[in-house]
Amino acid sequence: MGTQDRKDKGGAPEALSRRSFLSKGAAAGVGAAALTGATTAEANAQIKWDHTADVVVIGAGVAGLAAAITVRDHGGSVIAVDENYDIGGRGMLSGGRLHLGGGNAMQQKHGIKDTADQVYADWVRFDAGSARYSDRDLVRVFADENVATYNFLVENGVEFIDRMIGPEAASTIPRTFVTVEWHVPSELIAPGRNRNGSGLVRRLEASARKKGAQIFLRHKMTKIIREQDNSRRVIGIAAMNGSNAVNIQAKKGIIIATGGHTGNVNFRRTFDPRLTEEYQQACEPWVHQGADGELAAMELGASLWATAAQTREAGAAITKTRHIGCRWGYSSLVYQPESPMFRLARATGLTVEDWQDVIFVNQNGKRFWNEVDGSYNFFAACMAWNGDKSKLNGGGPIWAIFDADGAAREKWNTKPPNVDPDGFFFSADTIAELAGKIKNPYQKQPISGAVLQETVARYNSFVTAGADADFKKPTPLHKIEKPPFYAAWSTPILHDTLTGLRTNTNAEVMDIRGEVIQGLYCAGESQGGFAQHGLARCLTFGRVAARHAASRTA
Amino acid sequence: MATHSTAIELSEPVPAEVAAGTELVLKLKLTCAAGCDLHSLPLTITGPDHEAGASCHINDNGEIAIKVLPRVGPQSFTISFGPHEAAGIRHEPCSLPLTVNAIPHGTSLAVWDIPSPIVKGERFAIKVGAKSAADAELKGLEIAIVDNSDTVAARGRLRETPWPGTTALYWDEVELPAPAEEGLSRWSVRFAPAGLALPHDGTAAEFTAAIVPPPQHRLTVKVIEQQSKAPIEDVQIRLGAFRGATGPSGLAEVMMPTGRYDLQIWKAGYEAPARPVDINADLAVEIEAVVLPEEDPDAAWTM
Repeated sequence: MGTQDRKDKGGAPEALSRRSFLSKGAAAGVGAAALTGATTAEANAQIKWDHTADVVVIGAGVAGLAAAITVRDHGGSVIAVDENYDIGGRGMLSGGRLHLGGGNAMQQKHGIKDTADQVYADWVRFDAGSARYSDRDLVRVFADENVATYNFLVENGVEFIDRMIGPEAASTIPRTFVTVEWHVPSELIAPGRNRNGSGLVRRLEASARKKGAQIFLRHKMTKIIREQDNSRRVIGIAAMNGSNAVNIQAKKGIIIATGGHTGNVNFRRTFDPRLTEEYQQACEPWVHQGADGELAAMELGASLWATAAQTREAGAAITKTRHIGCRWGYSSLVYQPESPMFRLARATGLTVEDWQDVIFVNQNGKRFWNEVDGSYNFFAACMAWNGDKSKLNGGGPIWAIFDADGAAREKWNTKPPNVDPDGFFFSADTIAELAGKIKNPYQKQPISGAVLQETVARYNSFVTAGADADFKKPTPLHKIEKPPFYAAWSTPILHDTLTGLRTNTNAEVMDIRGEVIQGLYCAGESQGGFAQHGLARCLTFGRVAARHAASRTA
Repeated sequence: MATHSTAIELSEPVPAEVAAGTELVLKLKLTCAAGCDLHSLPLTITGPDHEAGASCHINDNGEIAIKVLPRVGPQSFTISFGPHEAAGIRHEPCSLPLTVNAIPHGTSLAVWDIPSPIVKGERFAIKVGAKSAADAELKGLEIAIVDNSDTVAARGRLRETPWPGTTALYWDEVELPAPAEEGLSRWSVRFAPAGLALPHDGTAAEFTAAIVPPPQHRLTVKVIEQQSKAPIEDVQIRLGAFRGATGPSGLAEVMMPTGRYDLQIWKAGYEAPARPVDINADLAVEIEAVVLPEEDPDAAWTM
């Protein structure tokens, strides 16, 4: 991969031989039963466990690391598995903004008065889109755990910038503060981009390992194993470490912390059929939000919860690409050439400072909305059906069109590594020629040169006249006329997962009949019911889940 | 000696149209009814003028290339094989006739540095450029600007070297007269290349410009920040077709004809409502712009 896997002090399992793979079975339970003719219970009894711990955490991101530490703090043994080659999940690439209040020490230091009751009251507000659809039982837990979670971070070595920010979102009191970026540049994934979340996850990792948590990287969970047919007790997981099958027993509990579903096209379309394959996921190629935890739990009958939060049309579920001309141009994330992810990301993108400098066209080469807008109305226009009879859902790619003057105003260098000419950035001598060059896996048919030329000519006439008669772009300023001309990928990019598995206030996963699936927990973006953007809910419910799991009887 | 029949088959259909004078890559297979591997054996291509056939081989991608003649219209080719005798086997001859419809190369245009507004009746200059889809040299070719009464308003001749930053956009600067009528005027740029080695289609493109009466009055706009009252530089000023930008002192001057206009400003990070202004003498206005909070992309919060 270009970087060394971080050492798993817990000890990754040795590569298993093919013989032991066949004797153990890659996925016990039904599969093994089918092979042997045994019942699920008998098959499960035949499972050979490669590792055992009190609690198994699936995912070593923000929620998973918090859970692993908390299990150790409560005297339990813990194995955290992560499919990636390194810890951190999307937290590693976050800005490190923590939304925790309740009257914590940072607030006190800055003279901010706050209480758990006020946190609760703010985050159940009916007039706040980010709060309206939450499960208030979970909000109460979150509110009551704010101070404890803050203290947990301090106790585990996380450092903060000494500044309070806000109030933000539903909060009426400043509750946001930022972690200090990790100090080892070689251990950053997005160096030089203020991805302060690295300071959160690296500190938690260090503490987790110091306290004896085992972290198995490059282990992809493939199944959650339950005790017997119709039982709700989960007893372990099957995972793949490369081509080697591994079974890990969980004597007390399993915590799903797999980071949400945004990258799984089929799963996300459950909530919004418009979200077809052309919409990329923020934080790829570093991590993929594949709904692994959700799917594994739903195979056991787990329920989703508070799905209205996912499509509330507020916040960062769908976002405007800020760095155009590359595949993953999420607003706060730029992969620089120094990033270990750069060979996969392939370009930094061109950062747009003023949307007056470009126009947007859809896959037919036509403008469709005011480019300055970044609201959900804009996203709806992006995803509108525009005549493709072969694909009715989704709107296809969105391309930013600009000219040499636009590039000069924005001070763009339109060459690699700033742009990805392999399907995401094109240049040409004329607009008509540019249309013919736009080729991309999601661009289902060529753009007509005549159509794109007419689109640009029409827009230029609006600039001449001083008013956008089609889409009311305020004060359309600049014609697109000076060669060469450019087309840059500017398709909306998806971010927050805001719904997931149903849990009770102990973060125990519940099934579609409202019953607890014994031993199964969920925290982080895979958990449904509290759709607050960011790290705080992941940390809080990671702790809540782990505390309860560790207290179970094995 | 054993005799095997053979066949030449296309793996992909021939494109409906191919630009004249280009190389057409065909994916095909040479097959033997008995299953012999014939792909290394030579084929013969006979062209539309029935000249002596050229020999070729199918490459590792299953392709051959045929040269389409530099003329427009249907062109017939025959791809032939054999007979071939070796190792006691005679592979019978076969052939595949095909017709390619050769079309002209496309051209496209760009028009830029169009001043706006333009005072009626005055002369103004624009730049026009033409590009061949085959990257052909277009220097010396004529380009015409036609007004909305279909009259040629000006002609240019494409210069020796392409416009900087382009691969083959040949260009000229052309001067033409503005119409006497005020309002939004349209012109068409027309390019009909002739005399090129490869046949090319002609093309056209439109551009517009606002035609205005002579400006008589000076409008001075000062833009300041609402709270601090500090001047704001680089603010775009717009009054319909008229425009300006503030300098370091926050001032912009725009010469305007008499009339009523909507004064709008724009600078990323600032906001001020549009306001009507009546111009019938020199006028100075001051606009207070509100600073929009700087967007922190990590603060993806909304209510």
